[in-house]
Amino acid sequence: MGSITPDFRFGNFVGSIIQLVLVILALVTLLILPIIFFTLFFIPLPVIDGQVLTPYLFFSMVVDPARTLPIVQFLMHTDLFRAAVFPGFAFAALIAALTIYVERKLLAKMQLRVGPLYAGKIEGIFQLLADGLKLIAKEIIVPSGADKPIFWLAPIMFISTSAAVVSLIPVASGWVVADVNVGLIAAFAIFGFFPLITLLFSWASNSKYPFIGGLRALHQMIAFEIPFFLSALPVVILSGSLNLSDIARSQNLFWYIFVMPINAFVFYISSLAELERIPFDLPEAESEIVAGWLTETSGMIFGLIQLGSYLKLYALCGLFVVLFLGGWYGPQIFPPELIPGASASNIPLLKIFALDGLYNPITVNSIFWFTTKTFVIILLMLITRGINPRIRIDILLHTGWYKLIVLTFINLFIVLILIYSGILGPGGVISSK
Amino acid sequence: MISSTTKLNAKQNSIRISHNVLNSLVEKFSNNVKIIYDKHNRAKIMINSEHMVETAIFLRDNHGFDHVESAGGTDYPKDNEIELNYHLGSYSNPDLYPYVLILSTKINRNDPKTNSLINIFPSVEYHERETYEMLGVYFIGHPRNERFLLPEDWADIPPLRKEFRIKGR
Amino acid sequence: MSSLEEKINEAKDLSIQIVKDTDDDRLMTLSVGPQHPGSGHFRFVIKLDGDYIVYADPDPGYVHRGHEKMCEYRNYFQNIPHLERPVIHDSCNITYSYSLAVEDLIGITVPRRGQFIRAIASELNRLVYTLYWLAIYGIFLGHSTMFMWPAGDRELLIDLLERLTGHRVTHAFNIPGGVRNDMPINFKEKCLTQVNYFEKRLKEYEHIFYNNPLMRQRTEGVGILSKEDAIKLGVTGSVLRASGVPYDIRKVEPYDVYDEIDFNVQYMKTGDSFARAYVPLLDMRESCHIIRQLLDRTPESGDVREKLLSNVKGSPGESFKRIESGRGALSYHIVSDGTSRPYRVKISVGSFRNLLALPFLLVGSKLGDMPPIYWSLNYWPVEADR
Repeated sequence: MGSITPDFRFGNFVGSIIQLVLVILALVTLLILPIIFFTLFFIPLPVIDGQVLTPYLFFSMVVDPARTLPIVQFLMHTDLFRAAVFPGFAFAALIAALTIYVERKLLAKMQLRVGPLYAGKIEGIFQLLADGLKLIAKEIIVPSGADKPIFWLAPIMFISTSAAVVSLIPVASGWVVADVNVGLIAAFAIFGFFPLITLLFSWASNSKYPFIGGLRALHQMIAFEIPFFLSALPVVILSGSLNLSDIARSQNLFWYIFVMPINAFVFYISSLAELERIPFDLPEAESEIVAGWLTETSGMIFGLIQLGSYLKLYALCGLFVVLFLGGWYGPQIFPPELIPGASASNIPLLKIFALDGLYNPITVNSIFWFTTKTFVIILLMLITRGINPRIRIDILLHTGWYKLIVLTFINLFIVLILIYSGILGPGGVISSK
Repeated sequence: MISSTTKLNAKQNSIRISHNVLNSLVEKFSNNVKIIYDKHNRAKIMINSEHMVETAIFLRDNHGFDHVESAGGTDYPKDNEIELNYHLGSYSNPDLYPYVLILSTKINRNDPKTNSLINIFPSVEYHERETYEMLGVYFIGHPRNERFLLPEDWADIPPLRKEFRIKGR
Repeated sequence: MSSLEEKINEAKDLSIQIVKDTDDDRLMTLSVGPQHPGSGHFRFVIKLDGDYIVYADPDPGYVHRGHEKMCEYRNYFQNIPHLERPVIHDSCNITYSYSLAVEDLIGITVPRRGQFIRAIASELNRLVYTLYWLAIYGIFLGHSTMFMWPAGDRELLIDLLERLTGHRVTHAFNIPGGVRNDMPINFKEKCLTQVNYFEKRLKEYEHIFYNNPLMRQRTEGVGILSKEDAIKLGVTGSVLRASGVPYDIRKVEPYDVYDEIDFNVQYMKTGDSFARAYVPLLDMRESCHIIRQLLDRTPESGDVREKLLSNVKGSPGESFKRIESGRGALSYHIVSDGTSRPYRVKISVGSFRNLLALPFLLVGSKLGDMPPIYWSLNYWPVEADR
């Protein structure tokens, strides 16, 4: 900052801008447009108004508004959109970013301070962007003697495993990236990967503190996997299916948390342990083992692992909502038409704003309620961070292996009693079948 | 608020305790013990280094001195000796709470060796180790006569000796 | 008369084992070094057998600056700024003891108003130090709120000290002869308001931090120091009082105006890490009572300082004075040879004496117990190194 450099000349400045524009134009015309044309020839395009949409007509959609909405609708139902944008990676990443920001602000208010304040005009809202840019620009230091292939691959495995779990969570009816019939078991199986990745990475770091941290992470995650599975067992019994969308749909009469509050509690505690959040953040215990298994991470590796952690947080809270809180069900608060009377009118602009083929009131309602419930559970997990100190490893293992398993069995018996006495389950007094 | 009569009582108490301790010492060790001064709540006795252990045992068993408030040494190059001071206090005998008895001895500066009091007062462990590295006094019976506070690459004379000059002063 | 060896053997007191090193290759050696978020500027080496610590060896000296030697090159007034560096935020206490010893050598008494102001500054410093200690205890337990709240409340008290002395830390306020300057005009009212607010906050701390079941689980029953062991090891301060010995130098050997103040010595009998963490909280409450009484009784006007020559000569002799600081008994043994520079200054600090308990308590405990035990011993590394 300060004054303009001594040899600044306005003519040169204008010339450089014109040069930049010409280069971009040349690049687009000679390179990007032909690539788009080539790829569009190979994608099966939809039928609109009785004729198949050719690439030339695809580009003319900006001129003719009547063709815009069907194209957008077609794009929204492709697999790529689902996996990358909604309800897949971009949506989850957005929620993860929002979670990090809310966590920092909420924790700050609890601790009588302000939190991020300076990045961005309103209360530091661009803090995450600034942090991301900083992490990208940092040097990645690989310790000497470290196992280089594993050291570089483990964070990528971490984030792809987290993204795999995210892909199983249904946000609304029919809106799930991977609709597998064994969705619940697939989610638990993918969760079983995380201790392995953590251990590999801590071993590859070739240092004592990551080694201790990796072993602690292994003990912790494995100890809490059994209560994790057992607490979801009565849900499967009640809904009769392992498909996550079916489990959510079977809660249209009542939410399962009213029948199994203890199991919901056990699931919550186990997810805190799986996520390595306070009070279970032993693997990263700062005061004892510097930063645990994350000691040797720097730069973008650290960024990827943090993003993976928060994606996991969203996935687990989403899983909690689907299993216990009734998925996407909630009172319908969105009107049947965005702008009433617009679809029958003749003005094209109004037709576009009415979002005719795009706006489905039930879907939007589902998305809204799912997101709200997930946020409530995320907030619960964040508040726990401000209140508690860190637990010790032997108390942790004792809790995971003894107390929580006993609690899940208690609730399992309660649910079985309710089913066999004919109140719940298929053919019962309160049931959807 | 402590009244002035209580203050007077406290003063008389301390004189009485001091006389008690010092008289018993003189009785037991006669001319090996020399009383240097006897102030309010403080008294200093000087002993030969051979009789240190016996005196310490006597003080611990008969009067209840059980720990050391501070232990160190002073270098007197003019007299060619190093004076060691042990400030003894008592936590178990409430009468002796405010009283500090300074047990001191003088050892030869050219061959500074003395018996360690660690088996009698375990709390002198680190003080004696620090005196070893700062003044060069070797304590017979102390398990670790080693460098403690100084850096690992210290290659100079013990720093609290008077011939060690701080650079630039 | 039996020989010397026999006498030593008779008196061998082996209930305190000196921790022995092991050469087992199976054990993992961890250097909890000076560059560690869990140890401050202090290094100790531990050997682990799985999760259990079998050997611990403290290695202080990272911040050794040679204060005792430096004292011999400066006169009695010039010694104050460097002598308060060992504990920068508790500086009024570490120079208090020095000033008492020097005044004993020179043979003067401080005017009454000066004595009261000294005591007020000392108690405020004790509050500030204990809050900082509590904040770092929170970090060691992994509780970030337990770091933020005491640090925030400490700022208000440091503002008070800045009003009084001109500095936030390293006040250079106590000098031989009294205090450097008088209290500002509104200080009494502001101090009273602040101390009343702080006492309410202490209730909240007790409720939120000390009644937290996780914190209790981590600190109760951990690192138990029995009364006999505490006396034999010669620990001092809150560590001693948490093991059941009601010993506070302000009560047993009152200096300055402490014999006119009415307060209780707080102690607990259990001797575990929780007791060592709880006694400072009780001490802080007592300090608030003491400050209120001191503010009431300060004479309205008077000298605060006995003017001395800057190169005043001490009479030949020696003096040993001790006070109760945040860590324990802080004593100075000053030998003077009649010149304006001390011949020898020996400082004995509470941290150095409490260090002996560290290897004794760590051996046999788990790695996860290391932070609560280590920091509950009220060890300030810079002070122990001097």
